[in-house]
Amino acid sequence: MSIFSSQRNHQDPVLTAHFPGLRVVELAAAAVALFLVFAACFPTILAPFDPLAINPADAFQGPSAEHWFGTDESGRDIFSRVVHGARPSLLIGAAATAIGLGLAVILGTAAGLGGRWLDFGIGRLLEVLFALPGLLLALVFIAIAGPGITTSVVAVGLSTAPGYARIIRGQIAQVRSSAMVEAAVVLGRSPARVLRRHILPNALAPVFVLGTLGLGQAVVWASSLSFLGLGAPPPAAEWGAMLAAGRTYLGTAWWMTFFPGLAIVLAAASSTVLGRALQRRVALR
Amino acid sequence: MSFPFRTPARGATTAAGAVAAVVLLAGCSAGGGSTNDGAEPVSGGNLVYATGDAEPTCLDPHVGGNYPQALISSQYLEPLVSKNSAGEIIPWLASSWEQSEDGLSWTFTLREGVQFTDGTPLDAEAVKANLEHVQDPATASSTGYLALRKIESAEALDEQTLKLTLSSPDSALLESFSMPWVAIQSPKALERSQEENCAAPVGTGPFMVEDWVKQESVTLVRNEEYVSPPSEATHSGPAYLDSITWRFIPESATRYAALQAGEVHVIDNAQPDTIKAAEGSDVIKHLDAPRPGASNRLELNTSKAPFDDPLVREAFIRSVNVNDGVSTLFFGTAARSYSPLSSVEPLAYSDSSQFGYDPEEANRLLGEAGWSERDSAGYRVKDGERLTLEFPVSTNQSIPAEQSLFEQFQATAKEAGFEVKLNLLDLSSWYGALAENDYNLVSAPYTKVGPDVLRILFHSDSTVPAPSGYFANLSQVKSEELDELLTRASETSEPAEREELYEQAQKIVLEGHYILPLYDQQNHFLYRSEVSGVRAWPTVSTPDFYDAWLNS
Repeated sequence: MSIFSSQRNHQDPVLTAHFPGLRVVELAAAAVALFLVFAACFPTILAPFDPLAINPADAFQGPSAEHWFGTDESGRDIFSRVVHGARPSLLIGAAATAIGLGLAVILGTAAGLGGRWLDFGIGRLLEVLFALPGLLLALVFIAIAGPGITTSVVAVGLSTAPGYARIIRGQIAQVRSSAMVEAAVVLGRSPARVLRRHILPNALAPVFVLGTLGLGQAVVWASSLSFLGLGAPPPAAEWGAMLAAGRTYLGTAWWMTFFPGLAIVLAAASSTVLGRALQRRVALR
Repeated sequence: MSFPFRTPARGATTAAGAVAAVVLLAGCSAGGGSTNDGAEPVSGGNLVYATGDAEPTCLDPHVGGNYPQALISSQYLEPLVSKNSAGEIIPWLASSWEQSEDGLSWTFTLREGVQFTDGTPLDAEAVKANLEHVQDPATASSTGYLALRKIESAEALDEQTLKLTLSSPDSALLESFSMPWVAIQSPKALERSQEENCAAPVGTGPFMVEDWVKQESVTLVRNEEYVSPPSEATHSGPAYLDSITWRFIPESATRYAALQAGEVHVIDNAQPDTIKAAEGSDVIKHLDAPRPGASNRLELNTSKAPFDDPLVREAFIRSVNVNDGVSTLFFGTAARSYSPLSSVEPLAYSDSSQFGYDPEEANRLLGEAGWSERDSAGYRVKDGERLTLEFPVSTNQSIPAEQSLFEQFQATAKEAGFEVKLNLLDLSSWYGALAENDYNLVSAPYTKVGPDVLRILFHSDSTVPAPSGYFANLSQVKSEELDELLTRASETSEPAEREELYEQAQKIVLEGHYILPLYDQQNHFLYRSEVSGVRAWPTVSTPDFYDAWLNS
């Protein structure tokens, strides 16, 4: 992450005094994330128009004072659609990450603590899942369950689970063999108590970092599925679906693709930057 | 370039239209009806064609029978008859034919000296084998099967003469025989397994299938022994092109970019904005060839609620704003239709009074039909049921502009209280949804030469699936009066009576609000200026590359 390290020289002395290690990029990422979360919670406050209201007479208009991001092929305001698109995109991303992490915690804990054979079985299962690229796994699931928002959430969640599970298993195995856990076992603590008090808290701290990092990836994947027509059905204002609709007119109406694309990039980048920031602090501790 | 056989339609204007068309044609045919600008054609070269239609699962158009199959098979298979650019039936593999007094038997004489590219001669037994192949349930034909349904038996009287016996007279028989879905294949090749024949059908055409790399391209090579061009061709002997690479590029922006870059020479299913852009270009030319048969239309499924109620059907039609969307999304490349038939059909009957956008009238009709309450989302409800319309859309058959148009319908129909659910599906899932009657609205292109397409689309017999599983009467209208008119029209040999009957039938279809006509089935080709001599067949508007050549 050399670009971020180079920022070290430009730190604001006042801010860094209060928040050691905080960087300008991280501040910007936090601002973008806050804006997107606000847009997701209260889209009607930010959006000047109804995202679904068509007006064919206004179709294909470039960015202007009235339509900041221009209009699409049906005369809908793209800024309003991008703002309204924050909710489904972030919700899908967050829910998918939650599913992925939840599954991973179960699999990883079982593998890390369940003995040789369980560890072996889960290990091989994860290897099989790893053999398929994550997005392909999601596509296979959608092919079986049919397209829609719920399926794409589950699909993205399922396909991110193996990666998390492997990391969690490693963490648990490491904590389990630590002196602290051995001491607790020697002192005669019950296995449940050892797991609850010692293993999970220490093994799962990195999980939150992973989750923040993974959120951005999940947003990108969910948008990819919508782009392929496998996510939110029309006329939903969803970034991936808007991107797909716009690419037909890429040569004549660039704004139809550019702005939803920008929103995806910003969402993914801000979650990655924040995730790295968290990671650094957790690692430092 | 406007396409020569586009004639104004209907009634008293037909005669005038025909005259106008002939004058127009005279003008066009000075240039050979092609883009040949006087230069001497040269032989050789490989033409790259990029199609946006679905890749066929079978290259034999007898099997199933959709437009993508017609596009490619027109290059290597030939039918018994064709049409000239004035719209008249002309001989092709059949050199002449005769109909008996009662219309129940036909005698076809076949062209002499023609052989299939596997060396099998074209004779009466060969044609007989083809008819049997189309009618065999194991072939799972749909389009060809429906077109040849009235043929009861075929008998080879001698080498070159075939006698057909019909169950009832068929005024559309020659039009049916002009279509690529019943084109003639080598009987020896048909004896192979269906899988083998699908991979490389054998015909008499100017090109032959050499290779098929799935999801990528089909390679067609010149038939050096070619002897059977139809009378309108501008040369004889083998084709000018050495070969054609028939690529599948489903993504419209990619296809257009490939054309601009010179990577491909011809594309189909061009997006309206790119057609508009090509107008001012010296490098890219436009060939507009609307398909014959039915117009592009929404079918309203009358077999189940809510469209079993004519009031709700009319309310839906009044609630959607078609014209504004067509003019902006299609950039002036598509004209609104008010007819069940394509504008290239001389017998098309239009009635715009049935299809005006009128939200107030829609509200009134819905109230009258008992859908007076609305739920919190603004959709109408009756007895706890929401006024929902399932609308499966085949992404292989609708270009993006059309899908956007459907989204606009969804938005305007919502104001009247309809919840339209657009389900974007690939071709096979879309066929599945239709087979399970899981739709209220559907847009299903249907191409057939001549007004007999009305019988295929609206006769109650067509609610019964063909061997392929597809049924063509998707509005599922079952009207004895309509059946009677369509049957009589298909049996009469009197042109005036035929026209009158088809007009009455179209009135019933339009006034019954079974369909919402949109525009002609769009068929725009864009090609690079180095391609000369390309035209579209006056039958089903598939491209004809026999006279085409490359001046690089």
